[in-house]
Amino acid sequence: MSYSMSDTIKIQVANLQFSYQGRTVLRDVTVSFAENSITALTGPSGIGKSTFLMSLNRLWENIPDAHMKGTVEIKLQGQFRDVYARSMAVTELRKMVAMVFQVPNPLPMSIGKNVAFPLKLAGENNRDVIACKVERSLKMANLWDEVKDRLNDDARTLSGGQQQRLCIARALVLEPEVLLLDEPTSSLDQASTAAIEELLTGLKDHLTILVVSHYLEQVVRISDRVVRFADDTIIP
Amino acid sequence: MKLRILERLTVLFSWAAGFILLAAVFLLLGYLLVKGYSSISLSLIFGEASPLRALLLEERVFDGLFPAIAGTLVLVILSIVWAIPIGMATGIYLAEYAGPRVKKMLDVFFDVLSGIPSIVVGLFGFSFAVFLHKNFSDKIGPCLLISSIALSFLVLPYIIRTTQASLEGIPRDIRLTAIALGATQLQNIFLVLIPKSLSGIMSGIILAIGRCAEDTAVIMLTGAVATVGLPKSFFSQYEALPFYIYYISSQYSTPDELMQGYGAAIILLLLCAILFSIAYGIRRGLTHFAFYRA
Amino acid sequence: MKKLGELFAERVFLLSALASSSVTIAILVFMVFMGFPMMREGGFYQLLLKPWEPYQGSFGIYPMILGTGAISLLSLVFAFPLSLGCSFLITTIAPKPVRRGFLRVIELMTGIPTVIYGFVGIFLLVPIIRELFQRGSGMCVLTASLVLGIMITPTMTLFFCDSFDRIPRTYLDAADALGASHTQKLLYVILPSARKGMLSGVILALGRAVGDTLVSLMLAGNSVRVPESVLEPARTLTAHIALVIAADYESPEFRSIFACGVVLYLFTMAVTFLVRYVGFAEDRNY
Repeated sequence: MSYSMSDTIKIQVANLQFSYQGRTVLRDVTVSFAENSITALTGPSGIGKSTFLMSLNRLWENIPDAHMKGTVEIKLQGQFRDVYARSMAVTELRKMVAMVFQVPNPLPMSIGKNVAFPLKLAGENNRDVIACKVERSLKMANLWDEVKDRLNDDARTLSGGQQQRLCIARALVLEPEVLLLDEPTSSLDQASTAAIEELLTGLKDHLTILVVSHYLEQVVRISDRVVRFADDTIIP
Repeated sequence: MKLRILERLTVLFSWAAGFILLAAVFLLLGYLLVKGYSSISLSLIFGEASPLRALLLEERVFDGLFPAIAGTLVLVILSIVWAIPIGMATGIYLAEYAGPRVKKMLDVFFDVLSGIPSIVVGLFGFSFAVFLHKNFSDKIGPCLLISSIALSFLVLPYIIRTTQASLEGIPRDIRLTAIALGATQLQNIFLVLIPKSLSGIMSGIILAIGRCAEDTAVIMLTGAVATVGLPKSFFSQYEALPFYIYYISSQYSTPDELMQGYGAAIILLLLCAILFSIAYGIRRGLTHFAFYRA
Repeated sequence: MKKLGELFAERVFLLSALASSSVTIAILVFMVFMGFPMMREGGFYQLLLKPWEPYQGSFGIYPMILGTGAISLLSLVFAFPLSLGCSFLITTIAPKPVRRGFLRVIELMTGIPTVIYGFVGIFLLVPIIRELFQRGSGMCVLTASLVLGIMITPTMTLFFCDSFDRIPRTYLDAADALGASHTQKLLYVILPSARKGMLSGVILALGRAVGDTLVSLMLAGNSVRVPESVLEPARTLTAHIALVIAADYESPEFRSIFACGVVLYLFTMAVTFLVRYVGFAEDRNY
């Protein structure tokens, strides 16, 4: 189902089909997502919501025996681009389409270094620029006040909720245009969940956000729109 | 920018390393094959004697590799015969009976054992032979028996480790199945656990066989000599393929002898390649067999 | 209530384990015992520090210790970068079909007997070194180290690959999702985490290099003088044992090889304990 005002569309997926080890996981999925909104993806467990997310940042390409058909176009830097075109470098794509996982995965380094890591990958080595961007990201993720005095501590010393916000900060540091979250609060407690929901709501002015979520209340609380997966496709 | 250069250099460096290594291997194998190719023939193995009669032990081979090959064969079989029972029994003990503290302690012993240089094991074998010679009988000296015992010490860690690792790798449910049906620990071990870990144990044994076949340091101190024909008894000296290769490399006196050395090297290489492929194949094949068989 | 058969079997297994482990000690005991007279007369430390000059009654193994040290360390200098690069190729840098093929080649290389390395070394490499440097016979520290380096590279490579494989998946996923290229993932995530495992690999490889006999015996020249450069011949502890074994076994020369044996044995123990220590240090981090 597409919107009438086409210039607010950020992501356009057409006839997506995904199979893994011979089994078809997603069939004929066609859907669009609007800019600067939070869309929740719901549906039964194992139906392919995570797979769908991975088709947007091509992360499924690391999985052996997986095949995909169809087109994914995302409006990046003002232009609609075919995510699977040869001209699209996958490492560049992932800097503009960021992902946060279900279980927080900080790298084995300090808090500061974790958030600065994408900057390092992008070749940024000006210390002031790095410090500035790290602070900005941590503030956007509502984590700055809690860690500003211990940026050199190992990231794994943070609590679960803090680690997840760290991962969000890390995902935001290169100022991506799309943020994909795969059940970001399912491994967290009530308070941490609320903190993250609040932060996502605040982010949507800057980004297009897709959240896979199991919890109906959460879905209702934060999203502008809900896309439901059933069988192997989407219910319009 | 500095980082980009580092990344580019890493890629370059890695390909260079791979290239150098491959070049070295191909050079090594190629040289051997090119130089020794012409020596491959029945007369390389049997010399002037007729192959059939030599195999039936009716005629003595003087000019060929047959005694060395036969010596290596007998040596390997003997060594494995000593090593398998004790090695497997030890592995079973470590995996199924030993408590954690005992295991840790024994672990250290076997780690050290597996790291001892082969020449030191050979030295031990030699001293043992001297000891027996002085205290028991004049007739005992470095011989087939001593060599095989020393070699078995060398490969004991392989067999112990693979037996232990294979047994420990069996998932809990399979472990408990027979026990739940009333089997004793011993029955469980022999009827369920060992069969299940057979592929791992087998590949360990094959690796041990390869190690015995290729070793030179141990046998040169414990009874291998250059020309003595077929081993007459457990207490006699003998010839072996790897020792022959070493001996020829420094003592060859005619081009023909050198060619024999090349031929011997090719045969030994082939032998080890076959053994290694079998071990690898068993590991892959039996796993497949164990998982997909009804 | 265990049946008699069960108890008996358990005893048998235990005995086997005790027998196997006692072999380890027996080896050391025999060597100390046989070399004891020599050590008592000259003192063990004296033995280690004196040069080998039989005509002057000096049977020190110092030149051999130096020879072993020089050859094994130099071989590591050659092997480490090669192993590092090859393990990089296998883990990330090479395209997928190339990776498996290369891995198989490396695995097969570990099966090549040492005597064959020595044999080809004598006839292929020695003349080259001789021509290239115009010094000596071509049998020297350099030649032996080159061949030894190539020989231990496959094992070290496989060890490094193993360490890389143990990195938790979560780190790799994080790096991928953040847009890291294969090389970046390798350099900034995998390598830092695999440092301790790699250290174990290097220590073990050093152990193997020190324990090798055939390559040094056949390629290093076996002179008893202390080598002054890599182009000079040298003798290792292992080669010394192999060479002197033919001597009369009541003579002091003969006893010296047991001193070599003890040194080698102690070195093995040091390697074993060092690797365990590094291993425990690694466990604590995860």
